[in-house]
Amino acid sequence: MPLPHRRGARRRRLREAVLGASPEPGAGLPENAARPLGALSGTILDASPHLLVLNADGAELRLAMSGDTTVWHGGRGGPAALRPGREAIVRPKAGGPGIDRIWVDADRVAGTLLACGRDAWEVDMGPHRGRAHVAIPPHALQQVLVRHPRLEPGYLVDVICVRSPGGPQAVRPGTSQPGYRADDLAGPEAAEPAPAVLRGTATWFARPPVPRGAAYPAVDPEGDGGGCAGAPSGCVAFPFLSIGSEITVHNECSGRAGRVPVVECGCAAARFCDRCVECGASPRGRIVELTPETFVGLGGDLEAGCFNVLARPDVPAVGSGGAGEGPSW
Amino acid sequence: MVTFQNTQVLLLALVLLVACLAKLTIRERVADAPDHVHGVPVPAGLARLTALRHSRGLNVGLGVGEGVLGLALLVTSQFSVRLATTLAFAAATWVVGELRVRRPDAGCGCFGGLSAKRVGRRSVARALLFTGAGIASLGAPMAGLDVLRDERTQVGPVLILELALFAALSPELPELLDRRSRARGLGRPETPCERRRSPVAETYATLFDSAAWVEHENAVTSAVPLDVWREGCWRFVVYPASVEGRDQEVVFAVSTAERGRTVRAALVPAPVTTTV
Repeated sequence: MPLPHRRGARRRRLREAVLGASPEPGAGLPENAARPLGALSGTILDASPHLLVLNADGAELRLAMSGDTTVWHGGRGGPAALRPGREAIVRPKAGGPGIDRIWVDADRVAGTLLACGRDAWEVDMGPHRGRAHVAIPPHALQQVLVRHPRLEPGYLVDVICVRSPGGPQAVRPGTSQPGYRADDLAGPEAAEPAPAVLRGTATWFARPPVPRGAAYPAVDPEGDGGGCAGAPSGCVAFPFLSIGSEITVHNECSGRAGRVPVVECGCAAARFCDRCVECGASPRGRIVELTPETFVGLGGDLEAGCFNVLARPDVPAVGSGGAGEGPSW
Repeated sequence: MVTFQNTQVLLLALVLLVACLAKLTIRERVADAPDHVHGVPVPAGLARLTALRHSRGLNVGLGVGEGVLGLALLVTSQFSVRLATTLAFAAATWVVGELRVRRPDAGCGCFGGLSAKRVGRRSVARALLFTGAGIASLGAPMAGLDVLRDERTQVGPVLILELALFAALSPELPELLDRRSRARGLGRPETPCERRRSPVAETYATLFDSAAWVEHENAVTSAVPLDVWREGCWRFVVYPASVEGRDQEVVFAVSTAERGRTVRAALVPAPVTTTV
């Protein structure tokens, strides 16, 4: 199976042949939007107070650290958390060389609660992500309970975790728990058209198939679309897309925007009808789940869990031959 | 006066039987009951009460009770039946009044799934009028069926007037008409093409029936498409093709609209594949 970005480029070429040219890569971005930061991820090979060495897909990267580089490892951690073998997500400084932030062994579990014990949960993360056994330490449980009051099987949960040899260990809540059962989601009216720009919340998901991209809730399950059969349609009127389709994602909190390919079906995200309150309350609806690299590259903080988003799916126009036509932001 | 009292017996029997039928046949959607009112979470006690009201068992029980009362009003002139009916409507008035104050978004469920919209003054006024009708019926001398059989009683005009008032005070009527028209496919809003679930079999049927397919059919070299995917209102189907001995690909774009689907096609050079 070709990689999503290669498949996306080929599909875009074929689409343009039959329906007309797509806009320039930068078209459709909000005015004055900053470009994404070139975030990186990889396995830590070595670390010193001034240098971080990563193995990123077989390539050795040597990145300079400074005194103001912050490290997250289940909370504020120091350089001691940068142990060889751990996974790191690195965000460079916006204005110059060097590393701004490093997240070490960041993980996330979002899905339907299957079983709930005093110190561990069993969570169904959707058909392609499987199940997760999450350990809940007592200090994390207090924080999680504040935003997840319904710890009963059938309700949705979303927790930021840190990886451990025994599996993910909860650190803090990802977002506030939706008040309905996972299968009681009320979708939009059937006749409601999909808006050109979707507004809601963008979150991130762990262990993506490729480093950069997004999981989108309405991926077509027919043909080679790549979607999950039987996935809910979400609480926002989404247009159907396929693996390889592109979405322009704008982080309203940081002002950064970029085009992101769809790399996975976001059928777990489709069940969440929640908001992000990072910079004002967003409208309800989890519009995209981004890979950690893409999320931090757009200015998000993994421990915050979400940012308020404007997303414009790159869909061909209905009637005319031109592709990707749509209103400006 | 006696005619008016007899009319109330018929009216209440009719209303109870309709309510019974609605509760037993039209289920309420679970998602219709929100967990927040004006952005404020519903207190746990009230939420439990609302959940109890939404329980299928309770609704069936209430519906059966109403049906029994309605039939009893038709066949007997027992005072106890009239009293039970009046007390039931008085209790309903209190419940609807409380719901209007505490859970206006949850709907009263008076007529099953038809009563899912927020409780308003009309619902309270209707319950109040039925309680009044119940009090008036306490002294009625005849059972409902006897009233219908007796040619001397002129219940028609009063009953029609009261039924018109009942219809005017019922927010369920527009919902019922809407459901009926939807069931018959009349006025059903069309799902926008970008959101419509379009089976791939429908795409193939549209494609094989199109002029674009007829034009390129002879160039297609395989019955199995190379790729099938969808973006918004279009599903794309790519077949390998050969034109004048050159390897090509033919791309079809098939609309996913409910009606008036169009098909477009284009030939593109096949990508060069290298064998290692």
